[in-house]
Amino acid sequence: MNANAKVLKHSGQTRTMHWLHLIVCILLALTGIGFYWDINWINNLFGGPANASIVHRWSAVIFVLGPLLYILFNFERFSRFVDTISNFTKDDFGWIKTMGGYIPFIKVDEVPPQDKYNAGQKVLGGLIIIGCLLMIITGFPMWVWRGVVAPGFLAFCYNIHFWTSIILILLVLGHFFLAAIHPKSRVEFSAMMIDGYVDADITAEHNEKWYATLKEVE
Amino acid sequence: MKILKESSVFTRRQFLKGSGVLVISAVFMGIFAKVGFDAVAAQEDVVQKRVAGLYSLDEKMTIRKSHENPEIIQLYKDFLSPGEIKPVSDKAHHLLHTRYGEEVPGLIAELKKHPIEAA
Amino acid sequence: MSTFTSRDIIHVDPSICKGCDHCTSVCPTRAIHGTIGEKHRIDHRKCVNCGQCLINCPFGAISDLSALDTLVQALNDPNKYVVIQVAPAVRVALGEEFGMQPGTNVKGKMFAALRQLGFDQVYDTEFAADLTIMEEGTELIHRIYNYAGVAGFEESGPLPQFTSCCPAWIKYAEDRYPHILPHISSAKSPQQMFGAIAKTYAAQKLDVDPAKMYSVSVMPCTAKKYECDRPEFIASGYKDVDVVITTRELANLIKQQGIDFRNLNDEEADRLIGSSTGAATIFGVTGGVMEAALRTAYELLSGKTLGKIEFKKVRGLKPIREATVEIPVKDLGVTVPVNVCIVHGLKHVNGIIEDVLAGRSKYHFIEVMNCPGGCINGGGQPIRHEMYA
Repeated sequence: MNANAKVLKHSGQTRTMHWLHLIVCILLALTGIGFYWDINWINNLFGGPANASIVHRWSAVIFVLGPLLYILFNFERFSRFVDTISNFTKDDFGWIKTMGGYIPFIKVDEVPPQDKYNAGQKVLGGLIIIGCLLMIITGFPMWVWRGVVAPGFLAFCYNIHFWTSIILILLVLGHFFLAAIHPKSRVEFSAMMIDGYVDADITAEHNEKWYATLKEVE
Repeated sequence: MKILKESSVFTRRQFLKGSGVLVISAVFMGIFAKVGFDAVAAQEDVVQKRVAGLYSLDEKMTIRKSHENPEIIQLYKDFLSPGEIKPVSDKAHHLLHTRYGEEVPGLIAELKKHPIEAA
Repeated sequence: MSTFTSRDIIHVDPSICKGCDHCTSVCPTRAIHGTIGEKHRIDHRKCVNCGQCLINCPFGAISDLSALDTLVQALNDPNKYVVIQVAPAVRVALGEEFGMQPGTNVKGKMFAALRQLGFDQVYDTEFAADLTIMEEGTELIHRIYNYAGVAGFEESGPLPQFTSCCPAWIKYAEDRYPHILPHISSAKSPQQMFGAIAKTYAAQKLDVDPAKMYSVSVMPCTAKKYECDRPEFIASGYKDVDVVITTRELANLIKQQGIDFRNLNDEEADRLIGSSTGAATIFGVTGGVMEAALRTAYELLSGKTLGKIEFKKVRGLKPIREATVEIPVKDLGVTVPVNVCIVHGLKHVNGIIEDVLAGRSKYHFIEVMNCPGGCINGGGQPIRHEMYA
C-alpha cells in the first residue's frame, strides 16, 4: 500500500451539508432543552424564551431545507448512501457482535471487513433519518397548526418530539465521541469536518470492502 | 500523491432505494396527517355525543314545554303572582331579574333598601 | 373593563405550561398573553372565566379555583341545610369520569349519588330553566308588543333580545359592548333564579331558616363560579347561590367518598322545585334555549298547541345559525315572522353585535353561548383529549 495515498471520502457538498446540520442541530438542541426545562441562562442566551423559540423554529426551517436541497441536488449520492446503510450483511452482524472492537472488555480477534460505513455508522445513519423525519413531522403542527389541531394530538406531538430529541441527542453525542475523541476513529475526523480526505491505509483497514471498489484518479 | 475516489456508477437498486426513502417519508407524513385529522374528528365526536344525549333525554320526557311544568305553575300561583300565572310580576321582577354593567351598583343599593318581605 | 374584578378563577401553572400557545387560539377574548415558547399568563380583566383554555390545554397546565373544601365543610356542618341544583349538561357528561361513553344519561345515578353525599334536598337546575323560559319568553313577548306599538308595553326594552343565561357572555358584553346591554334579557340565569327561589319560596315551604340554607350548584361551567360571586345576586336577602362546583369536582367528590357510581339505582330529584321538562333539558345545548323559548312563546302567543315540538332548524353545530318562525299572534290577529339567531363561540358574536348597534340586524331574538357546542362543552366538563373516534 502506498503510504502517501489519500481517499476522498466526502465531497464538498456533503461536508457543507454536514456542517450546516451540525450548527442548526446545536442551536435546536440548546434552545429546545432551554425552554422545555425552563433553564433561564440558556433562554437568556437567545434573549428570552420567546426569542429562543423563534431561533428554534427558524433553525428548524434550515434543518429541513438543508438536507432537502442536498438530497435533490445530490440524489445519486443520497441513493448510494441509503443503499449502503440499508445493506446489512453477515459482516455487519459480525461487527455488531464484536462492537467493532470499541468496547474494551469484549474480546475481539478480528473485526469483519466493512463497507464505506461500518455497521455502527449504518445504524446511526438510519436512526438519524428516522429521527429527523419524526422531529420534522411532529414539529410542523406544533408551530403552524397549533391553533387548529386537537389538544390530544398536540400533546402527542410534544411527547414524540421530546423523546425523539432525547434519543437523537444521545446518538449524536456518541457519534461525536467516536468521530472526534476516540483515538481509533478520530483519524477520520478531517474526512467530514475539513478537507474530505482519509489516509488510504486507514480506509483499507476500517472500510476494507469499500476500499476494494475505489479507483485511482490523478 | 495518489488520490482514490469512489466510482460514480449509479445502479438501479440504489435509485430505487433512494427514492424509496423519499416515498416512505411522504407516506409517513400522510399517515401522521391522518392521525391529526382523526383526533380533531374524535374531539368533535365527544361534543356531538353529549348533544345527542341531551336531545334524546328531551324526547324521553313526558312534559316537554316549560309552561306545562306543574311545579312552575304552582310556584307562580302560590308565590310569585298569587292566584294567577303572570310572569314578570313585581315579585318575579325582584327575585328573577337583574341589571348589567353600570346599573349594577344601583340595583345592589335598591335590593338592600327594599329586601324581600320576610317569609 | 368589567364593573367587577372577578376572583381569579382560571390559572395557568407556569411550571407545567410548555408555551405551546394552543390556548390563545381557543380564548374568546384574547385574554391569554404569551407567544409560543413562553409561559402563558391570563389577564383577568379580560378573562370571562369560560374555561375553554382549561379543557383544551394539552398539558393540563390550566386549572380552576376549586370550591370542594368549602362544600365539604358545609356538608359536615349540622347547622347548615344544604340544597343542591344540577345543570342539564352535567347529566350527559358526568358518566365519562366513571368510564362511560360521552352522552350516557346518568341523571338517575347522579341524583342517587347526591343523596348519598348528604345533601338535604336534591333539586334540578332544569326547574329554574323552565322558570327562565317563562320570564325571558314573556319579556320577549313584551318587547315584541312594544315594537309593534301595543299600548302598555312602553317600558319594555329594545329588540332584538339577547339571552342572558351564559355568564361568560354577560361579562364579555359588559367589558366590550356596554351599549348592547339594554338588548340583553333582564332575566337572570337559571342558576341565580334557582338560588333566589330556593332561599325564599323553598325555604318558606320547607320551613327552613334561609340564613341556614346553603345553596350549592353543580355546573358544567367555570364562569358560573364567577357569576355566583357577583355582588348583585342577593335578591333573597342572602347570597343566592353560595358555592358552585364543576362536573369534574362533583366526580372527584363522588370518588373521594367511595361511592360505587356505576352500580347506583336511579333516583329522582326532590319535588317542590325539582321537576323539569324536556325544554329545560336542552338548555345545555347550543340552540336549546332558543328552542325551549320558541315552544313556549309559540303556544302562549298563538293559543294553539304545537303539533311538532322540535324546531330542527335551530339545531346543529354551525357557529351562527338563523331561522324564521311564523307565529300567529292571537291578541294582535296577525302572523308575526320571528327571526331568531343562535351563536356559539364568542368569537362569532362581534359581527352580530355590531349589526345590532348599527341598526342593521333583522333578528328579534338572539341566543349567545360562549362555549362551542353550548354548555355540554363547558369549561367545567370532564376533560377529553381524544385521538381516535
